[in-house]
Amino acid sequence: MGRVGRALIWHEFVERTRDRWVLVVSMLFALLALGVGLYGSGAETDAARLTGPSLVTLASMLVPLVALVLSHDAIVGERERNTLGLLLSLPVGRHEVVFAKFIGRSLALTLAIGLGLGTAIAVSESGSSRALIALVGPTLLLGLAFLSIGLLISTCTRQRSTATSAVVVVWFLLVFFYDLGILGLLIATDGGLSQSLVGGLVVANPAGLYRVQMMEAFAGPDFLEEMGIRAGLPGGGAVAFLWGAWLILPATLSGLLLRYRKIA
Amino acid sequence: MKTLQARGISVRFRDQQVLDTVSVELESGSTSMLVGPNGAGKSTLLKVLLGLVRPDSGFLEVDGERTSINNDWKQRIGYLPEAVAFSENLTGQQVMRFFARARGVRKQRVDTVLERVGLTAASRRTVRGYSRGMRQRLGLGISILSKPDLLILDEPTAGLDQEGLGVLWSIIEEWQASGRMTFASTHDLVLMERHVNTICVLREGRVLAQGSAEDLRNEAALPHRIWLSTHPQAGPKVDLLCNAMRKWGRGRIEAMEGRVLAEVPSDAILEIVDIQGGFPGVVSGIRVEEPTLDRVYDRLLGAD
Repeated sequence: MGRVGRALIWHEFVERTRDRWVLVVSMLFALLALGVGLYGSGAETDAARLTGPSLVTLASMLVPLVALVLSHDAIVGERERNTLGLLLSLPVGRHEVVFAKFIGRSLALTLAIGLGLGTAIAVSESGSSRALIALVGPTLLLGLAFLSIGLLISTCTRQRSTATSAVVVVWFLLVFFYDLGILGLLIATDGGLSQSLVGGLVVANPAGLYRVQMMEAFAGPDFLEEMGIRAGLPGGGAVAFLWGAWLILPATLSGLLLRYRKIA
Repeated sequence: MKTLQARGISVRFRDQQVLDTVSVELESGSTSMLVGPNGAGKSTLLKVLLGLVRPDSGFLEVDGERTSINNDWKQRIGYLPEAVAFSENLTGQQVMRFFARARGVRKQRVDTVLERVGLTAASRRTVRGYSRGMRQRLGLGISILSKPDLLILDEPTAGLDQEGLGVLWSIIEEWQASGRMTFASTHDLVLMERHVNTICVLREGRVLAQGSAEDLRNEAALPHRIWLSTHPQAGPKVDLLCNAMRKWGRGRIEAMEGRVLAEVPSDAILEIVDIQGGFPGVVSGIRVEEPTLDRVYDRLLGAD
């Protein structure tokens, strides 16, 4: 990363922290984590078994939305402010601008999630803390994957309002309707799909990958076996590859799109 | 950099030919103005120079040698986009410091430039509270941060008050004096005229006319206006003078209360002076008005 890229990373990070975005998201995460933690500790069973899955459900919906909102205006916002040309007139490659924006906003997201969950971990009792600690890494990966998707949307669209609509649609599609779609497919084929195909389809979506990974962590592999998707799920290496792909591919595509676009 | 030439630049956006074999030349110490109606291709030509738009054909030459638009080239350029609006949550100082870091410019230069564009007092306020003129001045400051060889300004006068215009003129003069180049796209021909050396008129992606303001006036061949103030006691002698000028037949003559207007070609101004010399005691003063650039522009575009 060159001088301009490094300056842009810092600029993006500072800009996000200046608009109190990090603070609001941190507080939101902390409150949710604490709320669920309290609920878990009030139950008679093992707190981690209640806190973990509840937080996974909440995080799988909230984190993608937060990440998409954070990144949706990264490029299109510059275009609307007439600063995209100014930015690209600096001695820097277009792909570097995209990656610097990705890294800068990733740092802001990491800070927000880290602060939120960190606060909750610090004040929770040990059962809930364990569940929260297990959640940190995959939740960050989920956020970064959707951040990368939001960046791609931001590059493809010409108006911020279009980008906003697009991220809402993508959020609904990937977080809510994707699993329903697989379910519909199973019904339509009368259960004719193989377990490996169903498992593959589930983890092809970052939100699904997150849920499955966390379910395995909190409820154990037997739970996935009972659901009938265990056989189709990839191993550790493949999971890392899938996360890597979701993080890198949309951002790379975004860089390529910007590279060949005339800044009219 | 002594000369910069853009040769045969053509750009096509889908079905529209935005620039059609446009060639322009800039010289060190000069300020060039790019004018034309909306959609003429002014901003696109600037963006070609900035490397934001890759031309379908044509190339750039620096000091007679073909050059590619790479990071070394971009390092030599400062740019003020049209109607620029920065991140509203950052202060003017933070915005400028980002561009300074990106261009490898020292922190002290930021303070100098903020003072130069008259934003020192407002530098710690967020851009949200800036007026349009202040944002324009911030953009102007960013464009000169690295003291670039070529300053590209897209509609630089937009939103600027008298003080802001003063800042702009002083920057243009400094760039001229230091042998650098300025290339500005504008709609404010009359405002900019005194500060530019050459003008390029674009229409529908083609160069319609190019040269100094004088060259363009000659090309437009518009009449000069000569205002002859008359003595109150001149009485019927004014009519005699008017008749003599009409009889001369090289312009349009109009008598008004206390003055006479003669619209004549530029090479006939002295003849009018000669004619009025034949009527002593009639004319008390003469004022010659050359055609404004607005009128020249309209004539060149065929809009008058």
